[in-house]
Amino acid sequence: MAEDKRLNPADFLDRFFDVLREEVRTNPQFAARLVKTLGGNVVFEDETKAEITNPIILASGDKARFYTVYSPMKVADIKKVLKDNNLATKVDMNGKTPAQLVDMLYERAASKASERKSSIF
Amino acid sequence: MTATTAAIANLKGGVGKSTTTVMLADGLAYFYGMNVLVIDLDPQANSSQMLLTERGVQAASDQGKGVHHLLAEFVAGRPAAAAPFIMPNAVTLEELRVAEEQDERRGWISSLPAHPMLRLRELDLEEEWYSRSGTPTTLSEALAAYLKAAFAPLQTVYDVILLDCPPHLSPMARAGLALADVFVTPTIADSVSTWGTKQFSDWVGRYIAPDLPSRNFVLITRFRDTRYARQVESELREIYLKDRWFGPTIPESVHVLNAMDRAAPDSYDTFRGKYAGVRNDVRRLAERFTDFLSQRTGASWQKIRD
Repeated sequence: MAEDKRLNPADFLDRFFDVLREEVRTNPQFAARLVKTLGGNVVFEDETKAEITNPIILASGDKARFYTVYSPMKVADIKKVLKDNNLATKVDMNGKTPAQLVDMLYERAASKASERKSSIF
Repeated sequence: MTATTAAIANLKGGVGKSTTTVMLADGLAYFYGMNVLVIDLDPQANSSQMLLTERGVQAASDQGKGVHHLLAEFVAGRPAAAAPFIMPNAVTLEELRVAEEQDERRGWISSLPAHPMLRLRELDLEEEWYSRSGTPTTLSEALAAYLKAAFAPLQTVYDVILLDCPPHLSPMARAGLALADVFVTPTIADSVSTWGTKQFSDWVGRYIAPDLPSRNFVLITRFRDTRYARQVESELREIYLKDRWFGPTIPESVHVLNAMDRAAPDSYDTFRGKYAGVRNDVRRLAERFTDFLSQRTGASWQKIRD
């Protein structure tokens, strides 16, 4: 700790990176933010991408990349993304196939992204 | 059937006027099967966005629907008629949508939406009116007379007309207040909101409705259960607005904000899904407001759901 005057600079850094490494391992959102800040390309893995991704930001970019991220996801995860981002209610999702859910996710996220840009009335 | 017109108004911004408007519309339509028209007089168009979505508001404007188009009719000196500017289907609840599809004609919600263009049209009108020696008062009186004629045919179509007013006394807002049978005043339990609410209440009592206490329904919104908030709430109820009807205190809820963000113009939710933890508050709001209207107008409504 900082009050331990006997630690040398290398020890200080080791401790700092240990904490950082642990946080990156256990907190995927933080890891994604950190990698993005450093200019890296975030690769989403199935079990974490429902939590990390922002479909509105992704839909405002490349459509193919959007589908690459969401198409392989499990139905429950796609529904979670739709619900957590206020893009669909349970009623809206009833009876939809996985492909229809991803289409709905893209269409509604892209709409939100475009309609919130200024139209100057 | 003769519609009761309720203005949801407070000079203080951010007190939940638009959210209250939508909660009332949903609650009255869902629990009592009332046909409700929401007229948005606020150029920020928040209640219109909540009912129609942002895309829906723009689409409505492009189709010639909205208060700003009605105002253009006034400016052009054309006959007063509001019906052509109304979006007849602004229901967001699955249960009400199904009822509409079955043409039960109960629990319809329609919208006469606002758009940011409304403020620009008002400014143009004000400039011209004042350049001809008109005054803010004569302008709001002329608008009130026009709107009264425009809304007259709607009196037999709707049970309740809700006027969502902006947090300032624009000409349209003053006209709307002049047409109101009752006033709903949402406020927050903090000192600045209390002061603003009391000032506004005094203004309405002096210039619009001398019998304000019997026409005023107060709703404390976004309530955080702290000692301070409870103290301010007690003061409102027992000192400053002690002669008014109070609705249920609505708790602060992230869910309410989410519920008001409609996913898409073709998105529907169940009442339970939309309001989740505050659904009993919305039910109590509808019940209490209906009691208030019954006491005011002598009319009575039967609940169709619990």
